[in-house]
Amino acid sequence: MSVLEARDITKEFGIMKALDRVSLTVEKGDFFGIFGPNGAGKTTLIRILTGQLDPTSGSYRVLGVDGVKEPLKVKELIGIVPEVESPPSYLTGYEYLYFVGKVRKLDNLEDRIDKWLTFFDLETKKGIICKDMSKGMRQKLMLASAFIHEPELLFLDEPFINLDPIYQRTLRDYLEGYIAKGGTVFMASHILEISERLCSKLAIVNLGKVVAQGPINELVKKGDNLERLFLRSVGINPRGD
Amino acid sequence: MTFPFFVFLLSFASGLTLDKMLETITLQQFGTFAHLSAFLYGLSVGAFGLMGREYLERRYGRNNYLVAMPFLLPISFRTTFLGIYLRDAVFYVILMLVPATLGILAASPIMGFSVISISLFFVAVLLTFMLGMSLSFLASVIYIRNIKAFVVFTLAIVVVFVSHGVFGSPSLEMIMPSIGFQMNVRPFHTDATQALAFVGASLAELLGMTALAYGLVQVTVRISSQSYPNLLPGYYARMPVLKGVNLALISKELVDLRRSGIIAKMFFSFVLPLLFLSFTAWFVNYGLAIPVGFNAVFYAAMVGFIAILMYSWLNNVDLSDYYSVLPVTVPQLIKVRIIVFLLLTSGISLFFVIAISVLNGETNLLWLAILVMFVTSIYMVVMTAYLTGLKTNSFLFDTGVLAKFSVMSFLPDLCLTILSFSLLANWVLAVAGLALVLGILIITTTILFRGIEQKWASASF
Repeated sequence: MSVLEARDITKEFGIMKALDRVSLTVEKGDFFGIFGPNGAGKTTLIRILTGQLDPTSGSYRVLGVDGVKEPLKVKELIGIVPEVESPPSYLTGYEYLYFVGKVRKLDNLEDRIDKWLTFFDLETKKGIICKDMSKGMRQKLMLASAFIHEPELLFLDEPFINLDPIYQRTLRDYLEGYIAKGGTVFMASHILEISERLCSKLAIVNLGKVVAQGPINELVKKGDNLERLFLRSVGINPRGD
Repeated sequence: MTFPFFVFLLSFASGLTLDKMLETITLQQFGTFAHLSAFLYGLSVGAFGLMGREYLERRYGRNNYLVAMPFLLPISFRTTFLGIYLRDAVFYVILMLVPATLGILAASPIMGFSVISISLFFVAVLLTFMLGMSLSFLASVIYIRNIKAFVVFTLAIVVVFVSHGVFGSPSLEMIMPSIGFQMNVRPFHTDATQALAFVGASLAELLGMTALAYGLVQVTVRISSQSYPNLLPGYYARMPVLKGVNLALISKELVDLRRSGIIAKMFFSFVLPLLFLSFTAWFVNYGLAIPVGFNAVFYAAMVGFIAILMYSWLNNVDLSDYYSVLPVTVPQLIKVRIIVFLLLTSGISLFFVIAISVLNGETNLLWLAILVMFVTSIYMVVMTAYLTGLKTNSFLFDTGVLAKFSVMSFLPDLCLTILSFSLLANWVLAVAGLALVLGILIITTTILFRGIEQKWASASF
């Protein structure tokens, strides 16, 4: 069953074409990784598929909802971790999760907040306002705010960035468990080592176009790795290791 | 370039009508008023140096890049500070003073103004503007160093101006020597020696304040571990009349206002223009003895127009990126900010209108003044919200938006002003006219409010 279908997504910013007829399908239970050089269009694609930005042309459906027509409905159904960790400056960690919970009309909010503050080791820091937090703390808070409503589909843009190795592993373990319980993840990341362990499918984007797509075990053969696939796909000859 | 062009056009139009203006006030009074306006402009611009820190702190915590840059690069903080001060001076002179002067110059072939007089006027006003700006920068630096010293400093400045207003001493030329320079060059009395002396005094004053600010400026890199009590649930619970997502959004806005400390600055940016308006009206009526007929209804309309500054502030408390990942729309947030605006301003506006009515002995006009105040306040905020969304400052620099904003605020302002002045002459006709204008404003407000949804539905945060 498809949870995400994108057809011929194109996005132009003036004369610059950030995405050029990108099509992809994500099935339920996939851990779909999207990779590409800086400026390839990964974040733009995520922003479109999560209803934050309108495509210039093309269509997409998220959990059966037409994203072009109902972007708000899409946001209600999914969890999003943006590339830049930017929670509200003047709310504490606790308040931000409370705020998200009220916006999403969640029940058992106190229990959910406690759970995620504890999970990310933020409960002793719940009185610190976001602008006084470190980047890592803000990243954890954004992750917590995306997980708090237990969505079926997560969009994660560089989720491991700013996390220490302990929490990179914690997050990795959580996402593996999330997939095992039937969740689906769509993730953009430059950390290829972690991504190779997590992803079941991938797409590589270069200059706004998809240059490689499919199950990871078909694209990355024995003896090969994701880094070499990535480099070959974007036209760079990888050195033999 | 749109904003300077707009200023040029306004100045050109003022130049063309200057001879009409001079039938009511003298050239000296006009000059003094222009200098006072330039001084206040400089004061407000300098205060942005303090505000700018807030914007940069939002993303990067207490360390902002302006402060951090000297730690990363071989440049001292004082040099950075001076650079910012000079950059702001050049920017705001080019933004406002240069196009304003060019506008009058453009009118001079038609009106017969002397180019030399206008050029000297530009130099004098520039000195006054820089005086205001250096005073404001100094005040900002003192504020950062010590709040008590800032209060004492501000009170001292106020005492000087009040002393001038009440006792006529010190003279304006002593407080702002640039005015003394102005009054000793063409088209006024020409005395080169006096003019040069006043230029020297002006330069000494503004360079002295700048040097003091430069010497006092202090690097403050603070890493805060302050813990705050959770306010949001309490605010959420305290507003039972509202429900759902909007309640959460409004509660969050109120927490932001409280914690950011911006509420005090918003308060001053609203109250000070009101006080300035009151002072100007008093000055024109009693100081210049020109009976213009400012009454409570006039003030009430002005309150509505001045209050719009608060909407701009609300859109600058914090960045809005995080809303992109939540099921919240831009129109939703715009409407929430309109509600917050009304919550914040209604009390102050009402108090001001009542106070003015009582002080002027016009309590018979109070009911009308309150009605005018509420209708114009709501109209102005909805109109501004419709035209500029969540990015008021950016959009007001767009020619098309600025033109629409100007027409949609100037026309009702003009009508209400004329009708308020007519109350004494013909009460019935004036009230009927006011009713018509207010009716049109109410209808327009309703249309614009409904239009916010469509106009901003696909905008991003």
